Amino acid sequence: MVEKQLSRERTSSWSWILQAFTGVMLVILLGLHMVVQHFVVQGGLRNYQQVVQYISNPFVFLLEVAFLIIVTWHALLGVRAILLDLGLKPKTERRWTAVLTVIGLAMITNGIWLSATIVSQGHV
Amino acid sequence: MKLNVKMYRYKPGTEPHYDTFPVEVPETGNVLDAIERAWADHDMSIMFRHACHHASCGSCGLLVNDQEKLPCVTPVKDYGEGATLKIDPMRNMPVITDIAVDASVIYQRMQLIGMPIIRNAETLRPDKRTILPEGLETFGRFENCLECGLCLSACPVMATDPQFLGPMALAAAERLLAEPRGVDVEHIYQLVDDEHGVWRCHSSFECTEACPYEVDPGAAIMRLKRKVAGRKIKRLLGG
Amino acid sequence: MASEVQPKPVKRKPMEWFNLKGKRVGFWGYVVMRLSAIGLVLYLMLHLVILSQLAMGPSAWDGFVAIAKSPAFLALDIVLIIGILAHGLNGIRLSLIGFGVGVPRQKIMLWIGLVLTIVFSIMSALAIFSEVK
Repeated sequence: MVEKQLSRERTSSWSWILQAFTGVMLVILLGLHMVVQHFVVQGGLRNYQQVVQYISNPFVFLLEVAFLIIVTWHALLGVRAILLDLGLKPKTERRWTAVLTVIGLAMITNGIWLSATIVSQGHV
Repeated sequence: MKLNVKMYRYKPGTEPHYDTFPVEVPETGNVLDAIERAWADHDMSIMFRHACHHASCGSCGLLVNDQEKLPCVTPVKDYGEGATLKIDPMRNMPVITDIAVDASVIYQRMQLIGMPIIRNAETLRPDKRTILPEGLETFGRFENCLECGLCLSACPVMATDPQFLGPMALAAAERLLAEPRGVDVEHIYQLVDDEHGVWRCHSSFECTEACPYEVDPGAAIMRLKRKVAGRKIKRLLGG
Repeated sequence: MASEVQPKPVKRKPMEWFNLKGKRVGFWGYVVMRLSAIGLVLYLMLHLVILSQLAMGPSAWDGFVAIAKSPAFLALDIVLIIGILAHGLNGIRLSLIGFGVGVPRQKIMLWIGLVLTIVFSIMSALAIFSEVK
């Protein structure tokens, strides 16, 4: 006879494993993000032209998109983890997960669009 | 040794407050002795749990100066002559009166896991004559668990998540998975592989610090995470 | 009869996140993780918003770069670096112990992470401010 608060639908979860995995990837990606900026363009990114030159490099473009996806994923999984600590109702938890997923997809889409725009502006 | 016992008081229908009682206990005494002196000499309406007086029953768990302790084995010498002992009820459990809490928080979680703690007379240190049960390389220390609830009191997640299984039940689950003895292992995995099971633990290790009997629930939960994650990854890869 | 007594419902207490009394070093690790996480999420959003200035062309961007070189901004950069180091180094510890690796040494790992955070933060601060002209 278990009190209602403890009984809930049990659902297997990958969230923490993904959190750890994306976290470790970020150690590498963040390192690359900081280091590559100093080497792809002479003197680093100190003005608009250098930014365009930087992001137009295909390897850099892919790196930055990958970084954006992984960091957004890790960040929003983290926000979700803090919310789940509040022991909300399963329905509320699902709603928050949906909201955070939408926010994440919006951030990633916006970032990819922005990068593509800068690359195309550079060829004007 | 003279001490002050600053006792949390709450009777239903009144505001919680602290009452301070001067007591005198032998130097070799424990905090529980000081509480009993406060009760006997000053105010017999103080409600507190105690039974065995030797860290075997797990009844007397409380906070001394905001740290989880079993007062029956906590020496007053730790605090010194003239010290004030602030006595509070365990955290994360509803207070019934004074420092007596509703311990269903503890027992419901152990019931959910299947009440696995069977504290038979097992030797802790196997010698060459000891025959270990199949699958065990050494005796685990989980049988030490008194089910006192101090780990649940110390855990920061227990404070905000009423659905969390908590360190005690999770460590018990790890013990079961290490040595199932015929228990339904799938069922245990289902209970713990859940957002409010093992995944709510954030490794603060306050449970390990609070445990009066070296159960080290924190380490048990880390081993449990390894088991649960390992099983999921193996299944994903078709194992 | 014991079975007729209903257990009291347990209330959720978010204010306990701020109750630091009697807590030990592992709890502080948890607090640092959480605070740096929230700070970094806010930084991420801010960073992405500022980068959208790039879409407005050279004059908008170069205007931002001028601010980015100011000492106040650079000081905030160092706060960011402290946050990243604290969160990242402790995160590596959490990933290791969460897969059962090195658990008996978890407290040592916490202290090493703290020391490395301080050391690398100071090194970064020196590197950044030595370039300020």
